Amino acid sequence: MDVKRKVDIIRVNPQDWPDGTPAQKEEEPDLGHEMIPAARYTSEEFMKLEWEHIWSKVWLLGGRSDDLRSPGDYICTDIGKESVLIVRQPDGSVRAFPNVCLHRGNKLRPSGCGTTEKFRCMYHHWVYGLDGRLEHIPDLDSFPQGGPPTGGLPNYPCAEWGSFVWFSLNPDVEPLADYLAPLQQHLEPYHMERMAWTRDITVEWDCNWKASVDAFSEAYHVQGIHPQLKWYLDDVNVQIDCYERHNRYLIPFATVSPRVALPSAIPPAIHDIMVKAGMDPAEYEGRVSDIRRDVQLFKRKHGLERGKDYSELNDDQLTDDYHYTIFPNVSMNVHADDVMMFRQRPHPTDPNKMFYDIWMFELVPNGSEWPERPKHKQFRHGEKSIGSVLDQDAFNLPTVQSGMHNSAFKGLWIGDQELRIRHFHKVISDYVYPDGKKPGDV
Amino acid sequence: MDLGLQGKKAILIGAARGIGMATAEVLAREGCDLAITARSEDGVKDAVAALGRYGTRVIGKPVNVKKADDYKTWLEWAVAELGGCDILIPITSAGGGMGSEKYWANAFEVDVMGPVRAVEAVLPTMTEQQSGSIVLIATTSAGEAMGGPQAYNAMKASLVTWGKQLALFHGKDGIRVNVVSPGPVEFEGGNWDMIKGTMEKFYNAQLRQQPTGRLGTPEEIARAIAFLSSPAASWCNGSHLVVDGGFTNRTHF
Repeated sequence: MDVKRKVDIIRVNPQDWPDGTPAQKEEEPDLGHEMIPAARYTSEEFMKLEWEHIWSKVWLLGGRSDDLRSPGDYICTDIGKESVLIVRQPDGSVRAFPNVCLHRGNKLRPSGCGTTEKFRCMYHHWVYGLDGRLEHIPDLDSFPQGGPPTGGLPNYPCAEWGSFVWFSLNPDVEPLADYLAPLQQHLEPYHMERMAWTRDITVEWDCNWKASVDAFSEAYHVQGIHPQLKWYLDDVNVQIDCYERHNRYLIPFATVSPRVALPSAIPPAIHDIMVKAGMDPAEYEGRVSDIRRDVQLFKRKHGLERGKDYSELNDDQLTDDYHYTIFPNVSMNVHADDVMMFRQRPHPTDPNKMFYDIWMFELVPNGSEWPERPKHKQFRHGEKSIGSVLDQDAFNLPTVQSGMHNSAFKGLWIGDQELRIRHFHKVISDYVYPDGKKPGDV
Repeated sequence: MDLGLQGKKAILIGAARGIGMATAEVLAREGCDLAITARSEDGVKDAVAALGRYGTRVIGKPVNVKKADDYKTWLEWAVAELGGCDILIPITSAGGGMGSEKYWANAFEVDVMGPVRAVEAVLPTMTEQQSGSIVLIATTSAGEAMGGPQAYNAMKASLVTWGKQLALFHGKDGIRVNVVSPGPVEFEGGNWDMIKGTMEKFYNAQLRQQPTGRLGTPEEIARAIAFLSSPAASWCNGSHLVVDGGFTNRTHF
């Protein structure tokens, strides 16, 4: 590794925190060193395989439970060509069904979230109940064949976990808990249900959805794309763990990368971490290399008086980035006080495009008012800034995507720091080629 | 030109890195015995070891300048161990910062009282031997806008005034006092190295303001400090030397 200093990051002893997020380093899977074919990112054939074996088969993140507080609250969410309505039922459960009128194909709701008593199609006023059942067809006697024999819209599997609502287009999908395992034990200690929306943005990006997942699966690109973060986090001492289909890495924050000399002054971004924790950096007498630990101790001591209950989190979680990928398309930067997550959705037809959903949540201190939900915004890449760090990622990805079409580029040459990308593609292969990869498969 | 530094005894505060370390290096190369300090124990240890290669006597112990009693004890130790003091260069600084009143207390304790306590500690010896040279380190940020209204800039400015008063008052005892104001200086691990990495636009704006298109190096400041501290600068007293590669706009009449 190209470093200037040797840095020993102190991590919690996993045995000291048996009930919380598992902190132990898992044994690294042997996934070989093969090139990952570029065609996975560029070919329409592979895109079709992904639809057939992944998008239409697995559990997908649909939205946030707190957008579905009362019966009749609904969320529209799109995956590929499918638009789905997720609706809170009078009995408190959630249901999901296609967002389409069986009459002439109009969408029942154009987009977004809201609340309603019935879903009445705008076109001819066909009316569906909150459960998707057809309740009224105007002038029914003018349809000699009667109404659609299904009596309404088919329900998709739909369930809630972790303050989120999930659905699957696959009626035979396994239980959500089995699909998400073992991440429940990892993420529940953060109590994301105590966090409120701060940002809800969708950006249309000119790259394959996997190029985006890849970008958030390794810290190797910090030196190239985010040089300023070297005075904010340790991109070298990163712990990577792969589980059955999901994976994670743990990045120490509030510390300075071994790739640069240790400054004597507190770096601006670390200064901000201290201020956010309630510390006064001007009062700080320790060395810059001690700040991470001191922020942990300070938050542990003063969390409750600031209305923040960190009791289920280990000390590292009070500063560090516990970053999870929930297969296939959710990347989550999970922190004690906030979650910054991305849902990466494929374009319906073009492997060179995707939808990048930025969802951000912040812990609402006990006794504070639940803040107003920000309105969803959608725009094309480059039209607006999404913040300096994400802009850096965003501006790079279109050139990655077009570069992958270059005839000289056969595939991704992946190193150890990018193990999660290799694992991601292994899981993709398991789904896409259920009978095993054969010669000629990408 | 012989600077006449051979065999002189110099005390440097804040000399484990950057301008301080570079100044210590020039003085050691010119034949001075040195007593140095900084906050970091490892930093002082490494600096003492590195400075030893010039063959003069180099001693050092860490001290936190903000802890007045420890600091005074260190100063007494340094004068006693060196067997006197010909040159004093207090460089240490609490650095900049805005948004907390505490920055004023920090700058006062470190940037002002650091030099004040050091000068008090060496004046008896220098007065007794009727010779001595003190160089105070201010900043171009004292005279021109830099980084917003900060305790650092204002407190450093006080050294320019105080340095002149010292020069006028102690000149009769053969003690010279001069002030050096460096412009932005870049070295690995220094503030401008970090600013280059974290605030690229601001850094580039500073480069554009530099006639030579680069920032200074610690060595370029160190040579100016060493000259003023040396007997070769015998007629420099109460002067304020701006060493900034032409960075500042003001004409220093």
